Amino acid sequence: MFDKVEAFYRPANVREALRLLQSGKGQARVVAGGTDVVVDGDDSVRFLIDITHAGLSYIRRRGTASVIGATTTMAELEASPQIQSLAGGLLCKAAHSCGSMPIRNLATLGGNMANGSPAADMATPLLVLDAAVVMADAKGRRRLPLAEYLGNARSNRYARSLVVEIVIPDPPRGKGCRWSFQKLGRTAVDISLVNVSAGLHLDSRGRVKWVRIALGSVAPAPMRAPGAEQRMTGRILDQALLAEIGAEVAREVSPISDARASAEYRREICSVLTRRALEECSAPAGCSL
Amino acid sequence: MSRDRLVVGRNVRKVDGVKLVTGGAAFTDDVQIPGMLYGKILPSPHAHARIRRIDTRKAKALAGVHAVLTYKDVPRVPHTTAGQAWPEPSPYDTYLLDSKVRFVGDRVAAVAAESRAIAERALALIEVDYEILPAVLDMEQAMAPGAAVIHDEPDSTKIYDREHNIAGYILREIGNVEQGFADSDYIVEREFRTQRQQHCPIEPHITISWLDTDGRLVIRTSTQVPYHSRRQVAMILQIPVSRVHVIKPRIGGGFGGKQEMLLEDICGALTLATRRPVKIEFTREEEFYMARSRHPQRLRMKMGVTRDGIVLASQLTVLATTGAYGSHSTTVQGNTGSKVLPLYRAPNMRFECHVVYTNNPVAGAFRGYGCPQGFFAQETLVDEIACELGMDPLEFHRKNVIRLGDTDHLSAQLGEGKEGLPRLVRSCGLPQCMERAARAIGWAQKRKSLPNGHSHLRRGVGMACTMQGSGIAGVDWASAFLKMNEDGSFYLQVGASDVGGGADTVLAQIAAETLGVTLDKIIITSGDTDITPFDVGAYASSTTIISGGAVKKAAGKVRAQVLDLASKMLDAPVDKLDCGNNEVFTTCVCRKAVSMTDLAMQAMYKEKLQIMDGASHFNTDSPPPFCATFAEVEVDTETGQVRVVHLATAVDPGTAINPMQAEGQVEGAVAQGLGYALTEELVLDAAGRPVNANFLDYKMFAAEDMPKLTTILVETDEPLGPYGAKSISEVPINGPAPAIANAIFHAVGVRIRKLPIRPEDVLRALGAKRAANLEEEALLTP
Amino acid sequence: MFGSRGVFAMKTMELHLTVNGQSLNWSIAPGELLLDVLRRQGYFGVKRGCEKGECGACAVLVDGKPINSCLMFAAQAEGRHVLTIEGVAIDGKLDPVQEAFLDHGAVQCGFCTPGMVISAKALLDRRPDPTEDEVREALAGHLCRCTGYLKPVEAVLAAASKRKNRARRVKPLTEVSR
Repeated sequence: MFDKVEAFYRPANVREALRLLQSGKGQARVVAGGTDVVVDGDDSVRFLIDITHAGLSYIRRRGTASVIGATTTMAELEASPQIQSLAGGLLCKAAHSCGSMPIRNLATLGGNMANGSPAADMATPLLVLDAAVVMADAKGRRRLPLAEYLGNARSNRYARSLVVEIVIPDPPRGKGCRWSFQKLGRTAVDISLVNVSAGLHLDSRGRVKWVRIALGSVAPAPMRAPGAEQRMTGRILDQALLAEIGAEVAREVSPISDARASAEYRREICSVLTRRALEECSAPAGCSL
Repeated sequence: MSRDRLVVGRNVRKVDGVKLVTGGAAFTDDVQIPGMLYGKILPSPHAHARIRRIDTRKAKALAGVHAVLTYKDVPRVPHTTAGQAWPEPSPYDTYLLDSKVRFVGDRVAAVAAESRAIAERALALIEVDYEILPAVLDMEQAMAPGAAVIHDEPDSTKIYDREHNIAGYILREIGNVEQGFADSDYIVEREFRTQRQQHCPIEPHITISWLDTDGRLVIRTSTQVPYHSRRQVAMILQIPVSRVHVIKPRIGGGFGGKQEMLLEDICGALTLATRRPVKIEFTREEEFYMARSRHPQRLRMKMGVTRDGIVLASQLTVLATTGAYGSHSTTVQGNTGSKVLPLYRAPNMRFECHVVYTNNPVAGAFRGYGCPQGFFAQETLVDEIACELGMDPLEFHRKNVIRLGDTDHLSAQLGEGKEGLPRLVRSCGLPQCMERAARAIGWAQKRKSLPNGHSHLRRGVGMACTMQGSGIAGVDWASAFLKMNEDGSFYLQVGASDVGGGADTVLAQIAAETLGVTLDKIIITSGDTDITPFDVGAYASSTTIISGGAVKKAAGKVRAQVLDLASKMLDAPVDKLDCGNNEVFTTCVCRKAVSMTDLAMQAMYKEKLQIMDGASHFNTDSPPPFCATFAEVEVDTETGQVRVVHLATAVDPGTAINPMQAEGQVEGAVAQGLGYALTEELVLDAAGRPVNANFLDYKMFAAEDMPKLTTILVETDEPLGPYGAKSISEVPINGPAPAIANAIFHAVGVRIRKLPIRPEDVLRALGAKRAANLEEEALLTP
Repeated sequence: MFGSRGVFAMKTMELHLTVNGQSLNWSIAPGELLLDVLRRQGYFGVKRGCEKGECGACAVLVDGKPINSCLMFAAQAEGRHVLTIEGVAIDGKLDPVQEAFLDHGAVQCGFCTPGMVISAKALLDRRPDPTEDEVREALAGHLCRCTGYLKPVEAVLAAASKRKNRARRVKPLTEVSR
């Protein structure tokens, strides 16, 4: 493992990191927390580029958005007052579920996205929050909707670019806005069998004004459930609608069977967790449930 | 026996504790030996194949490679890797290296190179041409006509029926089971399945071997059986036992997985080939599929009872697979019958078992040794019978379980690979175990009513009773040697193998108690075949009772020498002397005393006498420790998830020599039992390859997953044990699975008869139950 | 050439770091992991259990935070403060966490103990008066196959109250009656 590595670089900024990535000619690998890079153990890597000194560890406000630098760790996210107050602490809850303490002290938000796992716990809350990924490459920076990025994270498309930051536009706020992160694992510290994030804005009459539902570990990449979202919009959230939405998300997902769970079970759990997420979102608003 | 015990029964710190909490260099790998090579084994990628051609030239040519061994380079000696007393009851069906591979992970070749990286690269350069053979992966198919024969080699011995892949077969009956069933009012028969669980010691198997300056082969290894390993390595490498020296340092957990000569032979072979020190260490992945695991079983259990709930007959029919090699095959499965069925006083019992070979990873010894499987079946079945009779399962147990003074005759028929010895129950705390654990869980009240309401979370309570043995009757034996030092301390040498459970501490406590000295006056060395006398090793819950028995005997002899000299020094008869607090004193009114230090100096420099002695010990019976496990669970009826809320375990270990350590044994066994019940299974794909050989996908319980635990020690006084001790390390692992399964039934009314109890199995069972209820309703509706 | 991993990596690099308060300067291969380098340098208390960041036996503190040294490239420790189990006891005086592990029977085989002690120390440095849940969470990254975790949790809570040097009722986790 990593026996062919000839050089370990610690670029001080993004430009230098990109230059090194270019000159690595496909044999360079970007590393931050190492929790995925080391476990993957890619034997062909000849250059390692450690971007944890490249000035990408930050949590900021920018205009009407929150911006999180790519090398911000899960532990830093959990501890950030800004993130705690964003969307009811949705991201904190998800970050907290990303492995044990020694892992969360290393693992980074950018890494969680760049690894492109269908089970990435940070993906569904970020999808719900309409987040975007800022990428940098030789040509400059560009902003991609998160869903588009996640769909291609495991392809070669971004091999010469770097995830720089995640931008989260301010979500709807107010009395009727609630958020939920639901995760089912086999034990407390586990990769998700299924995870579901939801954001819900009910108007004063209990009608769905705005809704986001995202599911992880049930498709090749973390996904939104547009069909379910559409069905909900404008309707009163009651038990009948919850049942309908549960059935709808189960239709929208395409899970696989593996050593952790069967596809059928995952599909069933999608319904349960989605319903629970929406219940959590709606319960405090005093709606009809 | 007059005075209170000073050391035995006390919660003393572990004698090796300080070096462990400070990260001292204590384990096999914590040495740096100049010139050490890194050994690596090439695992078979196929479940069943013959090696047509193997070319090691490229690997050998790689810079830094010092040896590449294949079957062509090593002696062919049929043996078993099971670390059992000679003659091992397991089949001799294994070879150092062979021209045939029998499971994914079987040894193909071994290399020794200057680094791990070179060794790994060298493995990739070995060219192997395999003739892929049909594989037997499903144990149900192993005996079928036309199934591939896994051990077709003529030189293997002690295989029951190689043509049909049967490693071992057991049939034992006491009384007349058919008559027993004929006399019964109710008969229930059910089928159960258990899975492949892995030991997961946090320290994987590791061995370092080298030649000492006299050219003897030294093997520093993570083992539970240093003496058996020495004998087996000598036999396999065809060198005299006197040329092998096995050292057992601190061990990072064994649980039976290291009751196995697993790396010592191949590591030693590489050292002999290179004349260099060699280290072989399993990666975690290798540990999962190249080491051992618990035997998967299919169990059919039938029980017949009277309408008053008295068991008249029980019959257990088992199909088990040992994987590709028969390590511990008949002995583990023998336990499934002999330690399980006699929990009930049924006059008629029958146990039949086929242990078959499959092209799967090899099973072996694992804490519980066949009992967790058997008790899962028996205790789940008993719960069902009690519920059907409308009887409280606790009451059913009270009526039927084995009692003080009973003799278990099935054990007489089922020994360690041969006829055994009858077991007489000379100490039994099982009734108190049941009552106290029941009280701890709130049984009486919760059995009647639980606050379940209409929530999707439903609670229930369940119970199980289990037993085990304490050493193998008539087989396990141990020895100990003690000598006195000038400062009045004693050097204790035992062959026993502390694998982390605290045996060194318990044995030192027994010596200190007998000699009347404080624990700091006992210096202990264990598990070194050059320095310490023989011991079969750490297995079968034998160390406290058997090795402890040897220590007590040896210490008694040394005590006699101490008293003899003190008698002279104090001018008092021996029967008026006692030892305690590091001195010998007269028990008469005019109290006179001599310190152990003064006595030692007197012995050595005046009397010219080394106070020292040794003793050997064995038992012809294996006193059972008893255990009652009560569980409260919460079932999520929407996800099928089972959360254990509270687990109460009451154990009768005889005397707890060190209660704190005894509790630790219970809690550790319970944690493994919880994993066995709910999450742990090494899964293989259709080609026999492991799919979850890592801690990310193979889930054992972590700190956050543990329920509230209550541990109760119900002490009894066992006449055959040192200071009344029996054993404790294995018995508590048997209870969690059946207790949880029974609690699930209490909570939601479904019976799960397959381990591990996965959420999706519970959910499916709930769905089936709902469907059945609907159908019933439909039938009832006119 | 160096040790187990350096042979193919012909390049070497310098690593400056502080381990247990000692400023050090090592020559490493660029692809080496911190676990391997620490063990090569004789810090045997840093254990190799899984090499995938799942078992926690290799945990050390880097700038006061527990991390799995099997997941960190040694080069990433440049300029940082590493604390291994060997540095927890000072001048032979055990840390209260270590004392409590011994007194509460929290050590069995001892292989996972260094990692648990390190994480417990980091927790108590951060939160001197943790709840039982916080202790469990802090130990959740450390697989232990011997103890069932109860006595380690109990030990950490006891160490906390000892460190605070005040009488504080520790809720018994195990109701032991004999």
